[in-house]
Amino acid sequence: MKQLIIIPICLTLIACDGGLAPPPPKPPVELGFSGTIYYAPGSWPPVDSLVNLMIFASQIYPLDSSLVSTGLFSDPPTIFLYPQIGQSLSFFEDSTSYSFPLKSGTYKYIGVLQQLSSDMLTYGIRVFRVVGFYRDPLIPSQPGSVVVNDTSQIEGININVDFQNPPAQPF
Amino acid sequence: MKNFVFNTALICLLYFAVAQAQTGSISGTITDAKTNEALTGVNVIVKGTTRGSTTNALGNYLIKKIPIGTFDITFSLIGYISDTLHHVTIRPDSAQTFHIQLIQNPIKAEQVVVTASRREQSLREVPVSVSTISSNKIADHVSVRLDDELRYVPGVNMMSDQVNIRGSSGYSRGVGSRVLILIDGLPYITGDTGEIPWETIPIFQIDRIEVVKGAGSTLYGSSALGGVINIITKEISELPETRVRLFSGLYTKPSYKQWDWSENNRFNSGGFISYSNRVGSFGYLVSISRMVDESYRVNDVYHRWGIYSKLSYQFSEYQSLAFTTNFQWRKHGNYFWWKSLSEATRPADSQLSGEVNSARGNMSLAYKEILSNQFFYSIKAIYFSNFWQDNTSGQVNNTAASHVTQIDAQATYSITPKHTLTGGVVANYDRVFSDIFGNHPGFGAGFYLQDEFAPMQSLRLTAGIRYDWQRVWRELFKSPTATSPSQLNPKVGIVFSPTATTTLRASYGEGYRYPSVSELFTSISTSFSQIRIVENDSLKPERSKSYEIGVSQLLSENFSLDLALFQNDLYDLIEGGVNPNRFVIQFTNVTRARIRGLELGTKIDLFNHSLSTDLSYTYIDPIDLTQNTILKFRPRHLFYASVAAEYKLLHSVIDYRYVSRIEAIDENLVRLAPIVDGDNRVACSVVDMSLSYNLIRIGVPLTVGLTIKNLTNYYYAELIGNLAPPRTYYLSLEGNW
Repeated sequence: MKQLIIIPICLTLIACDGGLAPPPPKPPVELGFSGTIYYAPGSWPPVDSLVNLMIFASQIYPLDSSLVSTGLFSDPPTIFLYPQIGQSLSFFEDSTSYSFPLKSGTYKYIGVLQQLSSDMLTYGIRVFRVVGFYRDPLIPSQPGSVVVNDTSQIEGININVDFQNPPAQPF
Repeated sequence: MKNFVFNTALICLLYFAVAQAQTGSISGTITDAKTNEALTGVNVIVKGTTRGSTTNALGNYLIKKIPIGTFDITFSLIGYISDTLHHVTIRPDSAQTFHIQLIQNPIKAEQVVVTASRREQSLREVPVSVSTISSNKIADHVSVRLDDELRYVPGVNMMSDQVNIRGSSGYSRGVGSRVLILIDGLPYITGDTGEIPWETIPIFQIDRIEVVKGAGSTLYGSSALGGVINIITKEISELPETRVRLFSGLYTKPSYKQWDWSENNRFNSGGFISYSNRVGSFGYLVSISRMVDESYRVNDVYHRWGIYSKLSYQFSEYQSLAFTTNFQWRKHGNYFWWKSLSEATRPADSQLSGEVNSARGNMSLAYKEILSNQFFYSIKAIYFSNFWQDNTSGQVNNTAASHVTQIDAQATYSITPKHTLTGGVVANYDRVFSDIFGNHPGFGAGFYLQDEFAPMQSLRLTAGIRYDWQRVWRELFKSPTATSPSQLNPKVGIVFSPTATTTLRASYGEGYRYPSVSELFTSISTSFSQIRIVENDSLKPERSKSYEIGVSQLLSENFSLDLALFQNDLYDLIEGGVNPNRFVIQFTNVTRARIRGLELGTKIDLFNHSLSTDLSYTYIDPIDLTQNTILKFRPRHLFYASVAAEYKLLHSVIDYRYVSRIEAIDENLVRLAPIVDGDNRVACSVVDMSLSYNLIRIGVPLTVGLTIKNLTNYYYAELIGNLAPPRTYYLSLEGNW
């Protein structure tokens, strides 16, 4: 009979790891970067070409069409969107403050993406266009690089958007 | 011509009348040789006829209408050494009594299986790995769905609703099972998504389950890529029999406040009642079942009604016909994944008000005729209908209906006692009607042939081949898909038993899976952005090649060992994913993979059968050769232990299962769905325990059981974003008279 008692106790001990548990409360400051998007006055486009507005952060620069596609859907991805694909920043504001949660790493190209149409099947990647990007403080014509660490949030990543004069498109 | 028809009919009638008149019967009681207790569920078969029975709760059996002649009569029960009465002579109107005592020995007992070669044979004659589950085990575990039970089978793990045999399947988002499930030898896969409808399988009417590991398309066709699971339902007993099982389970409240969402205790309750009897040549079994699971998660509740019946008719002692119907109605909350790990018992907000209603059922017909001791044949047909619709707040979203019809005619010819041919033809016709998959007909046909030859007592060779042709059309017989319609699958096997205690086996087999209608034709907007799922009618069938060598060794009367080394090469695996060139989601053939591993199993029987243990370890090395990474959704290690103990009227079983942490998952699924905290996963390490007090052995036809599932209340997720059930206490009551 001893075995009858010992075996279940052994099995119980083996399995007594606990497993999954709710994560501890998140730190008050999310990692990633934050800033403000400033929209050029009077430049907002008609509502029928404003499906979604998102911030993107790419670990790769320069980009082309195929790099954008694979960057978004590769495993792990190299291009991240905020908010999630299918959601949008608010429209027709003068400015919008944001906080983009990201894992640590170097993000070489950060900007704002306008989704022009919901018909992705027909237009593919061309339903998106870049309407503004975070500029290098020293060489403003070039994208600025942001290094996200795992201890604090990088602040002051401000982006100017002018829908009427978008920058050169990477795809 | 009229005369010819009349004469033939008259001769047939006379033949049946004479044959029915000239019969005898046998009856008796079967008991345990050691304890003298009555044994339930012993299969009694009159070899060379269609006559047979099983013992009732008091161990009694009765077989009427045995033809005159001399026969061998076998008595078998899983866990006991089979016994055979040789050369029993049946005389007209004789009624003979044979009381049999069977010796319990799970180690030495030679199990009989039917799935590996489409005919009855000893497990020792089979060149592939086969595991069996008895109905007693199902009752011990209080399993209410078949997939609950498969979690205890060596080398098998479940990924939510998808079954993996030695890592064959992974998780393909609910479509396209890579393991074929059969009910009494007939395929049971839905016509639209090609998945296994677990909840409709009549688990209370199962006699045993056989799990054949490795590709099995040579005998069974599409979907047998990683293995075949055959559910053998109970036969109608010769004596009137009523069976009842009632159970009620209570989910433990979560240990964490964040997960505790209900003020009330949550229960999972149900049961069934069945009655069977024979009146002359006619036998019947009817059963009704009901289950209500309140669930430990929000909007995961389900209600289920089931009706099952089996009718049989003995035209003569050599001809039988069985007609089975099985229908299930279910209403189920539409829980897909958790809201987050912090709220692991709540679904994502979009799934809070969704539910799925389904009505599924099948009818099957099986005719069997034994023409001589050397030759018999069977004709089986199944019609399987499957309808579901999902609703959100009462608004219907998607619907699908599929109808699958299959006919299978098989003949077995023993040229000599050492040489057996098995062959057959199959045909199927399928229709799918759905707003997301479209309306598509499908048609297929195939034939198979297998030759088994035993040139000497210790050596058995098997070779077989099957040709299949399958087509799916856009419209009825217009615009067929580009999918290759033809498949040729060979197999070979060898079993060598150099001593009475050693069996060596080696086998090679091939498998394939024809893409399901949902993989070919799904066209729908997804919840994430405007990315559409679009059809791909150029999908190729998935293919596999399985190799296995194994040795089975009886080390002593109480100790056996089985070791298998296996390799499964997989070609053109179909996966759903984002096509970056078209910015759409599609099912495509993307993966070439290789799964190698070993499986070690041992059975130890101690203290004169009072304590028996069953241990198995499976190591799996699943490599995605296309990406040169580990295959997604496959564990590397499986370890299962089962300890069963008997003490007077008390029977207890403790099961432990360990499935190592899944190393690679589909990150895109986590990100795009999105499944918040979806990458949080741990190994599965679960203990289940059951105690039953078997009053049947003292003449009271009741068994009272207490089962505790997940005894240690270990929290884990079999599938990403899906918290598995916490500790659950079940009380059960089973009656059989």
